[in-house]
Amino acid sequence: MNIYVCIKQVPDTETKIKLSPDSTGIDTTGIKWIVSPYDEFAIEEALRLKEKNAGSLVTVIAAGPARVVEALRTALAMGADNAIHVEIAETADNFFTAKSLAAALKKEAKVDIVYFGKEAIDDGAGQTAQLTAALMDLPCVTVALNVEYSADKIKAKREVEGGAFEMIEATLPVVIAAQKGMNEPRYASLPNIMKAKKKEVKAYKESDLGVSSADQKIKLKNFQLPPPKQPGKKVEGDAATAAKALVQLLHTEAKVI
Amino acid sequence: MWQPILFCLFAAGFFGFSGYRFLRLYRLAKTQTGKAPARFNRIPERLIQTFINVIGQKAVLQKPGIGILHTLIFWGFLIITIGTMEQFVSTLIPGFNFEFLGQPTYVSLLFIQDLFTSFVLLAVLGALYRRIVLKPKHLGQSSDAFWVLAFTGSLMVSIFLMNASHLLATAPWYELAMPMSRRVAGVMGLLNLGTDAYETMAIIFKWIHMTLVMGFAAYIPTSKHLHIVAAGPNTFLMNLDRAKPMSTINFEDESITQYGAAKNTDLSWKDALDYFSCTECGRCQELCPAWNTEKPLSPKKLILDLKHQLFDKKSGEPIIGKEVTEDVIWACTSCRACEVACPVFIEHTDKIFDIRRNLVMMESKFPAEVQSVFKNMETNGTPWAFAAAERANWAQGLEIKTLAENPQYDVLLWVGCAGSYDERNKKVMKAFVNILNKSSVKFAILGTEETCTGDSARRIGNEYLFQTLAKINVENLNRYNVKRIVTACPHCFNTIKNEYKDFGGNYEVFHHSEFISKLLSEGKLNPTKSQPATVTYHDSCYLGRWNNVYDQPRDSIAKLPGIKMAEMKHNRDQSMCCGAGGGRMWMEETIGRRVNVVRTEEGLETGAQVIASACPFCMTMITDGVKTKEKTDSVKVLDIAELVSDSLTN
Repeated sequence: MNIYVCIKQVPDTETKIKLSPDSTGIDTTGIKWIVSPYDEFAIEEALRLKEKNAGSLVTVIAAGPARVVEALRTALAMGADNAIHVEIAETADNFFTAKSLAAALKKEAKVDIVYFGKEAIDDGAGQTAQLTAALMDLPCVTVALNVEYSADKIKAKREVEGGAFEMIEATLPVVIAAQKGMNEPRYASLPNIMKAKKKEVKAYKESDLGVSSADQKIKLKNFQLPPPKQPGKKVEGDAATAAKALVQLLHTEAKVI
Repeated sequence: MWQPILFCLFAAGFFGFSGYRFLRLYRLAKTQTGKAPARFNRIPERLIQTFINVIGQKAVLQKPGIGILHTLIFWGFLIITIGTMEQFVSTLIPGFNFEFLGQPTYVSLLFIQDLFTSFVLLAVLGALYRRIVLKPKHLGQSSDAFWVLAFTGSLMVSIFLMNASHLLATAPWYELAMPMSRRVAGVMGLLNLGTDAYETMAIIFKWIHMTLVMGFAAYIPTSKHLHIVAAGPNTFLMNLDRAKPMSTINFEDESITQYGAAKNTDLSWKDALDYFSCTECGRCQELCPAWNTEKPLSPKKLILDLKHQLFDKKSGEPIIGKEVTEDVIWACTSCRACEVACPVFIEHTDKIFDIRRNLVMMESKFPAEVQSVFKNMETNGTPWAFAAAERANWAQGLEIKTLAENPQYDVLLWVGCAGSYDERNKKVMKAFVNILNKSSVKFAILGTEETCTGDSARRIGNEYLFQTLAKINVENLNRYNVKRIVTACPHCFNTIKNEYKDFGGNYEVFHHSEFISKLLSEGKLNPTKSQPATVTYHDSCYLGRWNNVYDQPRDSIAKLPGIKMAEMKHNRDQSMCCGAGGGRMWMEETIGRRVNVVRTEEGLETGAQVIASACPFCMTMITDGVKTKEKTDSVKVLDIAELVSDSLTN
């Protein structure tokens, strides 16, 4: 099988985000970059599928500036066979990214499954998988928890709003966006880390893929940090008075009721 | 004439068989091709240690009772072997004896032999009593042990019967030099069998004795009694210093394709010599915090299992299996109580570390909860999930300079991850800063340039991650030309002091307990405020057993006004680990009782109001233990820095 995983490099979860001086983005100095955690589930799922199907190949693709090659190396160390770097600007939006990824995937001889994480943990947009699928005219299963594979189709359990699940069948080729709980991503073994360092990463420029900044649909104008978290409040008194006070607070301060 | 011929036949048969079996052991040991530690240096020190511990039986006498019995048997063995030699030669050359050494020497020799034959017999009876009646738990059941004692006892009995028959048959001039044999002769003489009969009996008992000796020689190679051959060399090859850095893997060397030990053959010949030296005494197991809390790890059983794997020619098979399970390997806190207790200097932790290295680096197998710890260390240089950028936040408002600010300083304060991020240990750090300020010590920190030393990663088996961190730290420390370092964390202390040398990091490193003790004795601190309390000090393994720092923390506490000291049942070299060493800090404890609770119980038994620690991991574990025992109202867990800081008035 020809298995693909599209991954995004994002700031580490512990990063304290600072805005860029003109507030059109974030200040990336000193940031530690990681593979977006949902994408790790996608990589793991791809590797497990490959291990069950001899002769399969897993190729990871990342779009972004030069630094995202590190994320590709991480995926190679986990066990991916090949890596493709789609070199586009840091500021690329979901559509621009999806179009670039789709163009890169279309250059491949045969694509059976494309995995994504259900969303990246930085912008949390959750759009790239669907957009890529649409641009490639492929079926797409998002927020997938559990997938059964057969020769020409998949059956996926996906999470829907309200804590419910639904089962979806789709024919190959298919795009699958992974939800947490799909698996436990592996820790790269040292021999694989060593091998990953030496592997070649194929690179595409915008011109190779026929994309350009004209494909950018979103312009970022003014980023703001969320207001700092307020300390918690303890509502005192017996159950009746406390309940009354709580309702009052929810109404006047939190303004949720 | 029949005697020399029969002796030659017997000797060729028994010794030949024994030799063949020893040769097999040698060949088996050679199949273990892993890298052995370099131990053929510092020969004079090694010879002295060998003399003290083999002839002097120092390590054996750590346990005085059975130690004395063993010493008697061992010395008896040496002395009686002289007689056995005489016996062998006299069988080949009739009439030979050591009389040519001069009559006084010969008489003394006979007297000492006679005396020790009875000592050995008594010691064997004592050992049997211990095994049959007292049955210490750590000793276990062993038919081998009974065979060895039966052999040894029978050898002594045959000597007495032989000597007594000889005395009765010939009444030699040196008769008086053998008072114990004479007593036996007194009893045997009652039979009144006549000179010829006693002469025949002397020959029969001599042959029984010689056959037993030769049979024993053939029995030894697969018995625990093999230690009489292996323990001497193993003592010679001991780790001479208390500190013992883990071996450094060269990741640049592309010829290395296997990291750590997957198979028995990946361990070294020195590991095999360790198994051969094991006497199954169980002293390691007796003090093991894992074993004592019902974990599947017994250091003794691990060594025996590895030995059996080698003997059963299962060298090609993985070490991890039915006997040595992953749970066994992960249960170790690397507290090193086993190694310090071992009378023959077996190094258990080396094997566990090697097996862990294979599991982690080659197979990516480790307790699931450790993965996030590795990832935190990789991305943020701390096992806790905090940003590297926030490492120095604890120091806000304390006006501590970082090296980047180019301050004048005498010593670098290595804060460590716990001091930087853990709420409880931040308080300890602040107390230590107070001490440094009060004693006018000029110090600085690395701030956000500091990163985890990598101790936990290394002990868990992730040498690659450890080296990544070690190189960053050494690079930073050397760039600032740091000479002296003080830290409140024994794990940082041990790593920077003993393990960064391999990466070009050479510094004078102090643990804060040493530093505080020095400040107190130099009169730079003036603890005047009385804190009336009984304090019991819990030894950190990486301070105590790994670095021999036992006195300084105790001395510092003892100098504080109002404080009385109480020792726990297990202290100093025999101290019990808190349960957090060897990376166990980051693993769930799902089997048996919790190590920290058992250790806390020992602390509570002293009746102390304060359990003092000198390690952030111990602090966490003992604090949890006190909470579990619901004693937070009556017992406080304090770092020695807090105790000292609290007693300073101005």
